[in-house]
Amino acid sequence: MQNKNRPPRARLAVPGIAAALLSIAALVPLAAHADKLDDIKKAGVLRVATFDSNPPFGYVDAKSHKIVGLDVDYAKALADKLGVKLELQPTNPANRIPFLTSKKVDLVLANFTITDERAKQVDFSIPYFSSGQQFLAKKGTLSSPDQLSALRIGADKGTTNEITLREKFPKATIVAFDDTPFAFAALRTGTVQAITQDGPKLVGLLANVPDKQNYEIPAFTISNDYMGVGLPKGEPRLTAFVNDTLRDLEKDGTAANIYERWFGPKSAQPLPRLFKIGDKV
Amino acid sequence: MIDWLAPKYLGWLLSGFGVTVALATAASAAATLLGFMLAIARNSAHRGFARPAATFVALMRNTPLLVQLFFWYFGVAALLPPGAIQWLSQAHVWHVVFFDIRWPTLETLAGFIGLTIYTTAFIGEEIRAGLRGVPAGQTNAAAALGMRPLAIFRYVVLPQAVRIAMPPLFGQYMNVVKNSSLTMAIGLAELSYASRQVETETFRTFQAFGIATLLYIGAIAVIEALSMATTHRHAAAPSR
Repeated sequence: MQNKNRPPRARLAVPGIAAALLSIAALVPLAAHADKLDDIKKAGVLRVATFDSNPPFGYVDAKSHKIVGLDVDYAKALADKLGVKLELQPTNPANRIPFLTSKKVDLVLANFTITDERAKQVDFSIPYFSSGQQFLAKKGTLSSPDQLSALRIGADKGTTNEITLREKFPKATIVAFDDTPFAFAALRTGTVQAITQDGPKLVGLLANVPDKQNYEIPAFTISNDYMGVGLPKGEPRLTAFVNDTLRDLEKDGTAANIYERWFGPKSAQPLPRLFKIGDKV
Repeated sequence: MIDWLAPKYLGWLLSGFGVTVALATAASAAATLLGFMLAIARNSAHRGFARPAATFVALMRNTPLLVQLFFWYFGVAALLPPGAIQWLSQAHVWHVVFFDIRWPTLETLAGFIGLTIYTTAFIGEEIRAGLRGVPAGQTNAAAALGMRPLAIFRYVVLPQAVRIAMPPLFGQYMNVVKNSSLTMAIGLAELSYASRQVETETFRTFQAFGIATLLYIGAIAVIEALSMATTHRHAAAPSR
């Protein structure tokens, strides 16, 4: 009994210690006001948190057993620009902010959608990727958003896609189905003329369709999520460096190349590039 | 603690309830009519009528309604010529003297057909049980009085059969109201569909599904009351 009781008690102590350490950590920046950008250069290592199971943004490559992906390419470009080594830290959605606030990493590049709520805890760079609500239709039926009002559109019940579509196009006829395959079945039989979902998801759906040449994903979005680099709060020089580098990557074509590698026509999930760095600040 | 739903969302629920009531009423009426024909066909001495009718009943009763709805919405649509779906899914309005008749949506059409055909099998069996419940002596006695077969059926057998079938028939009408909720799977915006939608937008799960539940209970209670009223009236009538 004695032994069984011990581990929980030890565990209980951990939050207490963590809280004590955090309060000390909170005082440190005041004491030694070192600039993060200088610290990274001095250490010679850029530590970046990224996903390891979210293709094509960040995932473990089956051959090399290394984390690769669109986010990793951007992290590499940032490290190269600084002239330091890149050190990747696998993360998951819940850990992204704690990694930054506890200073375990310098940056987060993990399909990190910019939201007001998150911006209270961390800083964000300008967006370098955008994922939007798009449409899938039979070829030649849909090319611009103003056609939506005249169409019957299938959506997934209980998703923000349905709500957004209804708010922006109140005249469109929306038929909600239990999931995307049902909506797609309705599109196949012609009872709806288009279906809506996040662009990358539609691409994934289309990839498994036997007669995919009959369908297309028109090149427009009706709402967008913007992904940025997560930065620790109050590091203006580091933030400026990341933003400048991202703009340079767009200017010299590197950003387009990175996109091409993961979403180009020859990739597993071809998706037209509708967003360029600098489109939204 | 529990916030009330905004009027807009109550409106959604009520309009969904309207669709549920309309769908259940239309399907009940159509299924009762078809059920009579089915029962007569099953009772027919002619095998050419009785056999297909029995097969139909077996087929409908042995498959889930949800699968049948998918069949009518996704399956049959695939069999129709391409132009047909386009015509069916467009809005058509016919002006009839005082009011407009609107073409139902494709989902309404498929939901109505699926629910009606499924219910027909059950209602047909209830009516057949009613017809069987009338003793053969009644037919014989009527024949002895010189009545023609059609008159025997119309004036002697049918009124008694309806009286026997009435309570289970009302049970079937309650089932129609509850079964109509399955049509939300093919995108028909009835009460269950509306409650899911309200829940998605407001995150007020308890209120959305709570109100939907109350509306269903209300509709069933009305059918129950109707059933009681008719049964009582018949109980008061002299029995055979």
